[in-house]
Parts: sequence; structure tokens; C-alpha cells
Amino acid sequence: MIDPLRAATSIAGAGLEAQSTRLRVVSENLANASSTGRTPGSDPYRRKTVSFTNEFDSLLGAQTVEVGAISQDPTPFAVEHDPGNPAADQNGNVKLPNVNMLYEMADMREASRSYEANLQMIRQARTMASQILDLLRSG
Amino acid sequence: MISSVSGFRPVTGTDFARGPSAAGAPSTAGAAAATGADFASVLADVAGTAVDTLKTGEASAIGGVTGTKSVQQVVTAMLDAEQALQTAITVRDKLVSAYQEISRMQI
Repeated sequence: MIDPLRAATSIAGAGLEAQSTRLRVVSENLANASSTGRTPGSDPYRRKTVSFTNEFDSLLGAQTVEVGAISQDPTPFAVEHDPGNPAADQNGNVKLPNVNMLYEMADMREASRSYEANLQMIRQARTMASQILDLLRSG
Repeated sequence: MISSVSGFRPVTGTDFARGPSAAGAPSTAGAAAATGADFASVLADVAGTAVDTLKTGEASAIGGVTGTKSVQQVVTAMLDAEQALQTAITVRDKLVSAYQEISRMQI
């Protein structure tokens, strides 16, 4: 059985990892917000979604968070008439990625807030650990 | 790289094992032995664990530099290492001061 404060740090560390991965996926979506296909009529970039899952860490004796699956958003693509685009089909229609900037921004903000919360958790565990050690120092 | 840190293990562990007996304080050594863990072995244990954690921290730091580990992993490992070192140092200081207290005692 590991020291609970140390375990708290490790669990929060796993949270940081998970949120980093989430931000990575958001960044992928944002960067590819207007990536169309290469060949005429082909599908453009499909928005990725990330899901988290709890994982029992036997060393810590606690549930840590892990990235469950990075899956693809099945919502249909938007279609725009743009005959000049290399991905345009014979009617001049281009399929655009199903990335919604608003969703991505909200997701980014949520990842950022969750990251901050986990950081605060580490900070708190650190403070508590050093406080108990101070007891030995001053006494 | 870690050897300079692990250097304090023999200093606290073995020297103190000889220290009290050489200074003629068998009563404290006997009392410690009676309770199970002895002064020196406790110190050596604490220091050993700390050194292991520090080694993990250092390996992670190198992994972070080479890019095989994420920043979060490196920071968590370094924090663990720092925590272990702080605990080891504080416990050592406390034990050393306790030993000094005894050696200052008037006979």
C-alpha cells in the first residue's frame, strides 16, 4: 500500500495525461477543420472524439483515469459547392469536415479546466506532505 | 550520477551502527533492538527507498529529455523523488539530533 498523498499525486498525474491527450485530439480537430479529401468526391477529415475510462491501478490501490478510445464522430459532413476544389465531385460539391469550432473550443476549455483541477490536486498533496514533515523539523 | 546522493546511505546507515556502540551507549541500542527495527537499519531502509525513488526520478528526467516520456510523467516522478528525498533528509536530521541529544547526556 502506497502513501495516500503520493497516490493522490500519481492519480492526478494520470488525469493530467488524460487531459493532455484530449487537448491533442482537440488540436487535431481544429487544425483539420477545413481539410478536404484528396481525390474527387472523397471524404474529408472526420472529427475525432476522445473518451475516458477508469482503470484500477493495483500499485496505487486506486482508480486512475485513462484514455479509453479515440473514436470518430459519425455526424454527416457539410456539403459546399466549390468546383475549384480538388475534392469536388462531378457536380462541384465538396464535403467539408464535421468539425464544429464551437464544440472544439468548449472541449478545449473543459480540458484546460480539468487540467488545472488536477494540477491543484498535486499542489495540495505536496503542501500536505511538506506540512506533516514540518512537524518533524520544528519539533 | 546518483552515486553522490546514495553516498549518504553508508554515512547514515553503517556509521551510526558503529557510532552508538563506540560511544558507549548500549542501552539505547538494546532498546531499539528489542522493539524490532534497529536505528541503523531504519535509516538504511529509509535511505534505500529514497535512493530508489530518486533513481526512478532521474530515469524519467532522462526519458523526458529524449522525448520518450511525457512532461506529466517526468514531473510526477520528479515530485515523487523530491518528496522521498525531503522525507529521508528530515527523518535523518531528526534521528541525528536524537543521537546527539543522547551523546550530550552527562554521565
